[in-house]
Amino acid sequence: MLELDKNLRQKFEEAAEKMRLRLKQRPSLKTLRNAIVNKGVGTFNKCQRLDRQDLLNFIDKGKIVGVDGSSNSSKGHFPYIVTLQQAMAKTCSNDMKTITATDALSPLTMDTLLTEDEYRDFAKRNLAVLELRAALAAIEEFVPKVMLLDGSLVRYKIEAAALWEKLKSLALARDTILVGVVEGISTNLISQCLRGELPEIIHQASDWEILFGLLEVGERLEIAQGLFKEGFRTFFMRSSTDPKPIGIDLLEEQQLYLKEVANLVYTLTPKDGRGIPLWLDIIDATVRISDRVMEGLLSTYLGEDYAELIRPKREKREF
Amino acid sequence: MQVVGLTTPQEVYIASKDRKFRINELLVIEDPHQGSLIGEVVESNSYNRFIPLSIGSGIHDADVIESLKHLGYSISEDEINIAKVKLLTEANFPVVTGCRARLPAFDEVKGFLLKGKREDALLLGEIKNTEETAASMDDELKGLCEMFSRGQLYKTRNVPFFLDLRSFQQYPHIGVFGGSGSGKSFGLRVIMEEIMKHRFPALMLDPHYEMEFAERQENLKEVRDFSQDFKKFQIGEHIGVEFKNLSKRDLLALLSAVSPLSEAMASAVERLHLHGDTYLSFSHRLELLSEALEKGRAKIEQALRQDMDPMEKDKHYKMRELLEKYQDIPLASLQGISWRLRRLHNSGLFSHDIKPVKEAMMQGKLAVVQGPIWLLQVFSTYLVSNLYRQRRDYKDGELKGEAGGEYFPPFVIATDEAHNFAPKGRDAATKGIITEIAQEGRKYGVFLVLATQRPTLLDETVTAQLNNKIIFRTVRASDIATITEETDIKAEEARRLPYLPSGDAFVSSPLFGRTVAIRVRYPHTRSPHTQNPLDEIQLHRESTEDKLLESIKDHLPIYAANLARAVEDINSTSGLNYEVRTLRDALESLVEKGKLKRQPSPLGNIYTAPVTE
Repeated sequence: MLELDKNLRQKFEEAAEKMRLRLKQRPSLKTLRNAIVNKGVGTFNKCQRLDRQDLLNFIDKGKIVGVDGSSNSSKGHFPYIVTLQQAMAKTCSNDMKTITATDALSPLTMDTLLTEDEYRDFAKRNLAVLELRAALAAIEEFVPKVMLLDGSLVRYKIEAAALWEKLKSLALARDTILVGVVEGISTNLISQCLRGELPEIIHQASDWEILFGLLEVGERLEIAQGLFKEGFRTFFMRSSTDPKPIGIDLLEEQQLYLKEVANLVYTLTPKDGRGIPLWLDIIDATVRISDRVMEGLLSTYLGEDYAELIRPKREKREF
Repeated sequence: MQVVGLTTPQEVYIASKDRKFRINELLVIEDPHQGSLIGEVVESNSYNRFIPLSIGSGIHDADVIESLKHLGYSISEDEINIAKVKLLTEANFPVVTGCRARLPAFDEVKGFLLKGKREDALLLGEIKNTEETAASMDDELKGLCEMFSRGQLYKTRNVPFFLDLRSFQQYPHIGVFGGSGSGKSFGLRVIMEEIMKHRFPALMLDPHYEMEFAERQENLKEVRDFSQDFKKFQIGEHIGVEFKNLSKRDLLALLSAVSPLSEAMASAVERLHLHGDTYLSFSHRLELLSEALEKGRAKIEQALRQDMDPMEKDKHYKMRELLEKYQDIPLASLQGISWRLRRLHNSGLFSHDIKPVKEAMMQGKLAVVQGPIWLLQVFSTYLVSNLYRQRRDYKDGELKGEAGGEYFPPFVIATDEAHNFAPKGRDAATKGIITEIAQEGRKYGVFLVLATQRPTLLDETVTAQLNNKIIFRTVRASDIATITEETDIKAEEARRLPYLPSGDAFVSSPLFGRTVAIRVRYPHTRSPHTQNPLDEIQLHRESTEDKLLESIKDHLPIYAANLARAVEDINSTSGLNYEVRTLRDALESLVEKGKLKRQPSPLGNIYTAPVTE
């Protein structure tokens, strides 16, 4: 066992206590539910698993496509960095038709030298662009009924507004339902609405914090229209036995599909898994750029000697 | 199919998206620099990266996988098959990663699969997992034998496996190892059938009374009759030893096989047995000496002084003579020798000789010698030494240029339970001669076929000389260790030994230079006692019941009050041997089976014939 310094242990205990206290401050599940309903934050509904016939009806209307992206930067000192990005749209069928968009960036190829933070932000936006390009091409080519995107839809609007608008209008024109699947919820819609009802200490509580364990398996909380970002609808659901909910974003124009989408996501999610539809996990595994690939590419194109030059010391730790 | 990952000059991994690899199949690797390399699959794996082996992961939710299937995506199609392939001959440098691999055509790998000429070889079965390769084989090699697997009998679709008999001069002897139910007995039977097909003289020691080749296996398409190719001998019944030819050592071995001899007994035998003794002369000497020892010198002297008929007198003179010569032999030892000798005599051992065996072998037949294991051991010492000596003398004479010695052909000696005949760490009567043949037999064309379920218990010198080893399923760790040590079997194959299906085997032979996985063919003949004991009892019971029913038919109805009378009648007319009690039990059991009817009456039960409809 690690021998903890007395002082350190004390501080640690203090922090743990605060966390526990914060969680304890949460009103009872029943009170929370009532408050959410009474204050008009949203409505609770149950999802249904689709059976074979439902699914067949579904694909009659069009395919299901998943979109995900991956970004990996070489380890090294700024600006000796290369970032490799890949976005992929894949149809859920055995031909597994795939559209990929890839890009490689480096601070050294930019017209003006960015700071490290600026570069990171740029890379983030660039990935969103790649994902949107893949998504656009996928709608053009596959005309899917549903497109599952990894992450919030709002993110695209912020990070790549122009392309997003393009995607949105194309999706509406082709009647493709855009679905953002959010695994890490960072909004705090509920606590904002329940400001007066909640104890001081959790005024700023995030939505996952409020909903943790509150939803039953297969249950969703549809956030009332107008409470979420303009132009979008969102709902939270517990799609597996994991008590932490996921969030699902839809276009406001497509909110009539909400129930259908919820049922579909619920059906495609392993019940003992982490709550993400299996199809997105499969795409994630395909698109991911591993560290080993990065390393291999670097030593191939940069040469072993230069690769050695930029390899940070921390990479050489023996333990 | 493609070579993937890290390669070495000996070993590569090959991956395929759509073909599952089978263990032991041969593959051609097309190395752009070294040309075609041949390798053998030693491990086969399938992997699906989307169904990882992790407990608690939700990914194998069957419902979701099923739902995806309805949407048109089957997760199982993302499977990759990976084979670990060992090159049959080492490459000069590591194989190029990424190069193509494919299944071989027969001609490319012929040299690795077939050795020697077909007409000189024992056709033991098929080489496993060579179907695709066998397709491009010459027609005359196709479907040569019949196989039995999963309840089905079919012509082989694989490459046949031949063991070249001609190569025995260089690599002699066969070892057959495997636990019970592994197919070892079948394997031994197939080997013997093949030897008979070649009309190669052979001797088989059969302690289990199961090596008969007269009964044909049912349903076989290819009918082959071996009834004229073998001859069965039972020790004491058909064959035995000529007492006159016994050396002191042979006799000691025989006697101690009945029951171990004490030192006093052994020395007594050595002194009492004279060159040229017959059974009669030797046993007579024993009896006389016992009688003399019992009587004592004084009584014999006294008797000699009295008047008696000349025969008696002669006997007493002899007694006195023996007593003088052997007075220090204890009576108890003599008696111990006597009963052992009598037991041997009663077994019929001394009333026959080994000529019939020799004759059968001279005719190129298989001589099967049966007997209880205690007798078989001693007798076979005598028999095998005799045959081997005769062959050796002839061959040595020929070498020395002394032509004209009596001809005796080369031959094969086969036995099951070989660890009884040449055990490790202890002595057995046969061990000496078996070891000698193992080491020197090659020179004289005398070959061993030794089968055992416990290779660990077999003498190491013998095991080391068994050049061709056929290894069936083996479960015992110590035996697997012995096998690994004594053969070129690979670690991957040794791991598979406990799981081999019955009839599958590995053949390790210097001729092939590698271990070959085979499946033994279905024998043409079968062992005589394959009736299940359970069936036997049922059959016996039914036939006794039928017999009784038949014999009482005329005496019905039988009154329980008058059973004694019925017993008398039945016994006298049918020659059966019932008593009142046994008859009542038998009648009751017939009633239970519904074969008789029982009617209660004030005077006890009445047994009548059942009403026939």
